[in-house]
Amino acid sequence: MTTRPTNPMPAIVAHDLTKRFGDFTAVDGINFEVRRGEIFGFLGPNGSGKTTTIRMMLGLLAPTTGSVEVLGMTVDGDTAKIRPRVGYMSQRFSLYNDLTVLQNLRFYGAAYGLNNAELEIRIREALDMAGLEGRENARTKDLSGGWRQRLALSAAILHRPETIFLDEPTAGVDPISRRAFWDLLYKLVAEGVTVFVTTHYMDEAEHCHRLAFIQRGRIIAYGSPAEIKERMMRGQVLELAPSNAAKAVKTLRAAQQAGRIPLEEIELYGSLVHVVAPQVKKHQRAIRAELQKAGIHAGQMSLIEPSLEDVFIACMKH
Amino acid sequence: MSWRHIWAIARKEVRHIVRDRSTLILVLFTPTALLLLMAYALTVDIKHVPIAVLDYDRSATSRAFIQQITAGEDLELYAQASSMAEIEAMLMQGEIKAALVIDPNFARDLLGMRGMPMQVIIDGTEPGSGGFAVDHIAWRAEEFANQSLTNQIQAMGFSLESLQPLDLRVRTWYNPGLKSRNDLIPGLISMVLGMPALSVALALAHEREHGTLEQLMATPIGRAELLLGKMIPYIIVGLLNVIMLPAFAMAWFHVPFNGNFPLFFALSAIFLFAMLSMGIIIGVFMRTQAAALALSFLLIFYPGFFLTGIFFPIASMPEAMRMEALGLPGTHYAIITRGIFLPGIGLDILWPYAVMMAVLGLAYTGVAALFFRKKLG
Repeated sequence: MTTRPTNPMPAIVAHDLTKRFGDFTAVDGINFEVRRGEIFGFLGPNGSGKTTTIRMMLGLLAPTTGSVEVLGMTVDGDTAKIRPRVGYMSQRFSLYNDLTVLQNLRFYGAAYGLNNAELEIRIREALDMAGLEGRENARTKDLSGGWRQRLALSAAILHRPETIFLDEPTAGVDPISRRAFWDLLYKLVAEGVTVFVTTHYMDEAEHCHRLAFIQRGRIIAYGSPAEIKERMMRGQVLELAPSNAAKAVKTLRAAQQAGRIPLEEIELYGSLVHVVAPQVKKHQRAIRAELQKAGIHAGQMSLIEPSLEDVFIACMKH
Repeated sequence: MSWRHIWAIARKEVRHIVRDRSTLILVLFTPTALLLLMAYALTVDIKHVPIAVLDYDRSATSRAFIQQITAGEDLELYAQASSMAEIEAMLMQGEIKAALVIDPNFARDLLGMRGMPMQVIIDGTEPGSGGFAVDHIAWRAEEFANQSLTNQIQAMGFSLESLQPLDLRVRTWYNPGLKSRNDLIPGLISMVLGMPALSVALALAHEREHGTLEQLMATPIGRAELLLGKMIPYIIVGLLNVIMLPAFAMAWFHVPFNGNFPLFFALSAIFLFAMLSMGIIIGVFMRTQAAALALSFLLIFYPGFFLTGIFFPIASMPEAMRMEALGLPGTHYAIITRGIFLPGIGLDILWPYAVMMAVLGLAYTGVAALFFRKKLG
C-alpha cells in the first residue's frame, strides 16, 4: 500500500469520546484521528462500541463527554453543515426493499438536495460503478446480498461526500462480493474520499491504511497494520503443518501449561497451527519432540510474518 | 424548511403506497368499508321487540287493545300467557323483553273512564329494548284510550269540535323521519376518516423497525421536513375519502347532504391534519408496528367511539372525560359533520370547532417534533 500525500487537516478527530447508557459504558474515552483520503478501519468484536462511535460522529447520538470533529467542524446540535458533506451506510441494509434500484437512488439523491439534472448524471455514474446497469428497475428485495451492498454504497455516495462512514458493510456477504466491494472503496479513496469503515473481518483490516482495535469501548491498538504488528506483537510467529492440527494445539497447550515450552500463543488456523514466542525458533526442537510423544507428525515449520489476526488475538488476550 | 426535502419524502411515501396494490386498496377504501359495516351494525331503529300478554280481563275491549298494541312493526306478540309463572319463565329465557298484564277490570274501568288498569314488566338487563317496549306500549295505550274516549263522547251526542283538548304537537326538524341512520352516518364519517392516522403511525414505525429511519436521520432532511413529508400523502388519501364518504352515504344510505360541500372539504382537511398529527405522535414513540397499532386503537379508535359524542352525549359525561373529549379532534369534527350534513349550518356557527381542531393539530405536531429527536438513543 503506497502512502499518498495527505491533506494536513484531518477528516475526523475524536477527543476522549465517551458514551454511557445508564451505568453501561459503550465507548470509554477514545481518541483517534482519521487523515484525509485514507481508509480507516475500526475493528472490534460485536458489542465493542463500533456502531455507537459511528453514530456519535454522525450526530445521531450525543456523546456523554468528550467531542468529535468531522471535516473541521465539531459535531453537536447543529449538523446541518456537516450532513451534506458526509455519507453513511448503516449496519442494517437500509434501502427500501419495496422500491426499485432507481427509485431508491432518486430518493437519496433528492434527500441530499441534488437537482434532477445532477441526479441523473450521478445515478448513471453510480450504476456504472456498482455494475448495476440493466437492473435499474429491479426491486431492491430481489437483489442478492452483494448487489444490495453495492447499491447501498452507491446511494451513500451519490452526493459526493468527502467522508463516508460504513458500518460493517460486508457483514454476511460472500467473499467474491466482499472483494468487489473493497475494489469500490479503493476507487473512492483514489478520488480523495476518506473512508471510515468498521469490520470484524481480519482480511479486510489488512486492506486499511490505518486501524484502531476497539474492545469493550476502549482502543487497544492504533496505527497502520505494519505499525500495529510491530508494536503489539510480542514475539514471532511459527507456522506448523502437523498431521493432526487440532490435537497438536491441545498437546502444545498442555506442554505450555506444564511449563515445558515457554510459548505465548498457540492458535489453530484451519489445518495449520500458529505458535508465538520471542525467538520462537529456539523451541522448534522441543515442539517437534512434544508432538512426536503424542503421535503427531510435526510436519513443516516456518517462521512467518504475523497476520493481523495473530496480533488481534494477542491484543484481546492481554 | 426545504420543500425539496419534504417533496422527496412525500414522493417516496406515495411510491410505498402505490407499489403494493393491497396497501393502496386498504388505504383508499378502508374508511368506506368501515362506514358500511358500522352503519348496518349500529342502526338503532329497533323493530320487532317480542312481548307477552297476560289478559285477566278477556273482554272484547282487552282483545282489541292487544291487537292495537301489536299492530305495528315495533312490538311483536310472542305469546299469550296464562299465568305470571309463564311470563317469568319467558323473561328468564330471554324469549321476551317485556310483558303486559291486563287487569280483570280493564274494560269496566276504561269504559267507566276510571283509567286503564294494567301492568308492564320489563327485562331490566336490557334497558334499551325494555324501555322501548314501555314507551311504545304507553304510546299505543294512549291512542287506544283516546279512541275509546272519542267514541263515548260521540255516542253521548257531543260533537268533537266542541272539545278543546290539550294539543301538543311534536315537530322534528332536520331529520323528519327521525331516522337514526341520517344522524348516525355523519357521525360515523367523522370516525372512519381517522383511519389515515393509523396508516401514518404504521408507516413511521415501519421505518424505525426496518432501520431505514437511522439512514434518513443521517441525511440533511430535518425532522419537521420528515414528519410533514410523511403526512402529505395520507392527507391526500384522506381528502379523497372526504369526497368518497359523503358520496357513498348519499348514494347508498340516501342520507341528505344539506350543507356547503367546499366548507365541509376545508374543515375536513383541518381535521385530517389534526388526526395525522396524533398518528405521527404514535409513530414517534413506538418502535415497532405492532406497538403502534395497539396504541392507535387505544388513542384513536376507542376514544373515537366512546368519547367523541357520536354515540354517547358528551354533556352526560363526567368532567374528566369531557375534558379528554375536547382534546380529541374527532369530538369537534363530529359536531361539524352532523351540522353540515343535516341542518346545513355554516362557518358562522362552526368556526370555534374548526379553530379547536387547528389548535390541536398544531399542538400535536409540536409535541411530535419535540420528541422526535434526531437522536437514536
